[in-house]
Amino acid sequence: MKDLLTKINNTAIQKFGAQYAEARAQKLYKTMLTLKEERVEAAKQGIENGVALRVLVNGAWGFASVGSLNSEILESAVSDACRMAKIASSRLKTPIKLAEAKVVNDRVESKPRKNPADIPMEDKIKTALAVNKTGLGFDKRVKSCTIDYLDLTGTSYFVNSDGTSIEQDKLYVWARITASALNEGVFTFSREEIGSTAGYEVFDEQAPEVLGEKVAKRAIEQLNAKSLKGGTFPVVLGPNVVGVFVHEAFGHLAEADLALSGGVLASNMGKKIGSDLVTFYDDGTIEGSFGAFKYDDEGVPTQKTLLIKDGVVTGLMHNRETAQKFNAEPTGNARAEDFRVEPIIRMRCTYMAPRDRSFEELIEKVKVGYYFKSFRGGQANLDGTFQVGIQEGYEIINGEIGEPVRNASISGNTLETLHKVDAVGKDFQLDPGRCGKGQTAFICDGGPHIRVKEVVVGGSA
Amino acid sequence: MVAVLEKNTMLSLAENAVNEALKKGASEAEAYVYEGQATSIGIELGQISKSNRIIDRGLGIRVVTNKTVGFAYTNILDDANAIESVILRALSAAKASKPDQDWNGLPQKKPYASPEKTFDDKVVDLGSEELVNVASIMLDAAGQVDKRVFPIEGGIGNAYISNAIANSNGITGFDKGTVIECSLATLAKEGTAVTPVCFEFNASRNYNVDPVWVGKEAAKLAVSALKTNSVETKSTTLILTQFALQDLFAYTLVNAVKADNVQRNQSPFKGKIGEKVASENLTIYDEGLFPGGLRTWAFDGEGVPHQKTVVIEKGVLRNFLYDSYSAKKEAKESTGNASRAGYLSTPSIDTTNFHVMPGNKTSDQLLSEVDDGLIIYYLQGAHSSNPVSGEFSVVATPAWKIKKGEIVHCSRGVMLAGNIFEVLKNVSLVGSNERQMGQLISPWIQVENVRVIGK
Repeated sequence: MKDLLTKINNTAIQKFGAQYAEARAQKLYKTMLTLKEERVEAAKQGIENGVALRVLVNGAWGFASVGSLNSEILESAVSDACRMAKIASSRLKTPIKLAEAKVVNDRVESKPRKNPADIPMEDKIKTALAVNKTGLGFDKRVKSCTIDYLDLTGTSYFVNSDGTSIEQDKLYVWARITASALNEGVFTFSREEIGSTAGYEVFDEQAPEVLGEKVAKRAIEQLNAKSLKGGTFPVVLGPNVVGVFVHEAFGHLAEADLALSGGVLASNMGKKIGSDLVTFYDDGTIEGSFGAFKYDDEGVPTQKTLLIKDGVVTGLMHNRETAQKFNAEPTGNARAEDFRVEPIIRMRCTYMAPRDRSFEELIEKVKVGYYFKSFRGGQANLDGTFQVGIQEGYEIINGEIGEPVRNASISGNTLETLHKVDAVGKDFQLDPGRCGKGQTAFICDGGPHIRVKEVVVGGSA
Repeated sequence: MVAVLEKNTMLSLAENAVNEALKKGASEAEAYVYEGQATSIGIELGQISKSNRIIDRGLGIRVVTNKTVGFAYTNILDDANAIESVILRALSAAKASKPDQDWNGLPQKKPYASPEKTFDDKVVDLGSEELVNVASIMLDAAGQVDKRVFPIEGGIGNAYISNAIANSNGITGFDKGTVIECSLATLAKEGTAVTPVCFEFNASRNYNVDPVWVGKEAAKLAVSALKTNSVETKSTTLILTQFALQDLFAYTLVNAVKADNVQRNQSPFKGKIGEKVASENLTIYDEGLFPGGLRTWAFDGEGVPHQKTVVIEKGVLRNFLYDSYSAKKEAKESTGNASRAGYLSTPSIDTTNFHVMPGNKTSDQLLSEVDDGLIIYYLQGAHSSNPVSGEFSVVATPAWKIKKGEIVHCSRGVMLAGNIFEVLKNVSLVGSNERQMGQLISPWIQVENVRVIGK
């Protein structure tokens, strides 16, 4: 494979005058299951082989993707990519340059205790059925329960014209469990996800039955939740919500491509934008976590990147192109979902560092506010507006957790809200997730419990 | 350039896979072959700086043995062994699985209508030079609006898509189509103030995009978002543009009209056929053959002909959307709403072109009817809506305040909260300015009494 990819890169450089060329091949296998109410809708298996070619010609990118490992087809694709890059470069004002990256030659093997590729389909179905059964059996008001399961195994190959060559195993295990409940015309919905890059052993750590029960329990509890009053309130956020808050409210703004696009962080490097309690990392090195890998899709080693320390912006997440623009080091954040798409800057495992408060200390001083424990979706905007939807939340009245609330979300502006983080817990939890930025990336996020002095809460009451 | 697969090649790939699967022991089989070839020129950070070419092909096969369904796919089509192995994988998946007593067979053959305005040779023949020209025209148009505008990303792309299907009940179908899309996302900056991202696009099955309009509109929206003022917390009138409707409907209303969700007790519309569920101003069709529609094809992901289905008629719920599995459960006919993610997935129910029928008010007339309200373009967080109950709690980024029929200022961070099924009942006016956005074809609609949380 290395020889084939090297040959294609050489064609780009020698025959078409490319300044840089990279070839990324994948041989991947997927197993997918969908179960609904203990019915296996379909057991699915897939093979995806293909190559992504990226070239830099006259300072413009050319990209070609083909689902083939055939040398002739790849030669034709690289010729297309170079020709199109040349045409695209005709109106270029600022040619693209890449920051230096260390030349790497490595083979990264995944060493799962339980390789999903070796687990028979029957066993995967049995596990999913166990989750489904406990979810549905939890209470007769649970009306539906869906399990989506995916595992992905295989190898990716990366070769570039700088001399880097990496063969890296890929392994992901992921499942989403959703349940809906219905009682006297009130509908609720609940969701949990698990995800790991370690192996199928993730189901040993979190028993399927526990997952099913967790999802169903929330759907039932939400039946009695009341609509909340919209307005500005103090809130305590659980690690699951803090993770998404860090990811949406800050993480996206710290992606260097979005910072360059006019995002509010570009003009705040080295400045204090949050309270002393705010320290965030994006970390690709946490073994087994959903956002972990050794090399990114530009062949750059992953790392633990400090983004904000004690409220001061310290760094951004880079690929080689943005690192060059900021005169910084690439941070190993260039990721591509598969061979069909080019690598772009993506988060890995993004989290807030814990401090010293207990949960009781966080809530005791809140007179009227909310405790938001679990999220449902979130989204960022370049002007710093964030939104995080809530699937599980409670009132806080006079320092005590009260009734459950439904249909909430929080919003605010990042630059204002980070200053309002006034207490940070000592606990810590990470959750797997998926992030959409044109492509889907498997990520992880989390942190401790935190308190935010005020944030806008959306509610319909 | 790699030549596209011909109709006969695609069909015989599908038919051979079905025959082979039957020979290897499947009691039923269905094969779906997909090809997409797409080219695009990309704008990043204010300049044209990239190009993209993707060829994606593959075959997905669904087999049934003893009411047990297995599925496998591959993207390697030029190797007979790979096809043989994908059939064996589908069979082994079925063998490992559990029988589904509700399985009632693959669909039967029915005649197809010819979709109109879904293929344009001019789109296929567009060269990269011409794409660069169009992108450049769009960028220039945006730049001329105001120097505070910064085009952050966008581009233009054309695609050729074809699919073929065959099943063991004798269904065979082939259809091909084209799509062209140009888009631009901008924001405006003044001092340290940055607007939210504003976006415009044209997407069409034929070569009739207007890059000047896209560039200008994207820029104008961003400029008009510079001056902001706060709005108060109250229940108010909203004009929802297609951007907002598409986002909101996709995560709420659309779920409620899918027959499988109804059957599984996760739709508030269950048992409400024939009942009034929306304002009588509202009529919605699912139109799989809408001429030139972005989701117009001859047949769906199971080879069932696309059709026109009335979903809501003058506020009364008329039909749900079915694939053949959910239809057979109720001894009904599929409405041709089995959707597929190319060759990568088994079919699942989705809308084709979800068409909110236009009324007779122009956009200006709609605005002039509003004494005090907001016009909503982009929503943030629509995907965090409750997919079952229809509750939403989202941010308008941004919203524009309307006073006495005039847009007076922009407002940031305005939250909207409510329930889509209440919103449907409170539709007071429907515009005539329909346009397509993804699965939605709709005009602007005006809604009363939506909870707005200001700052």
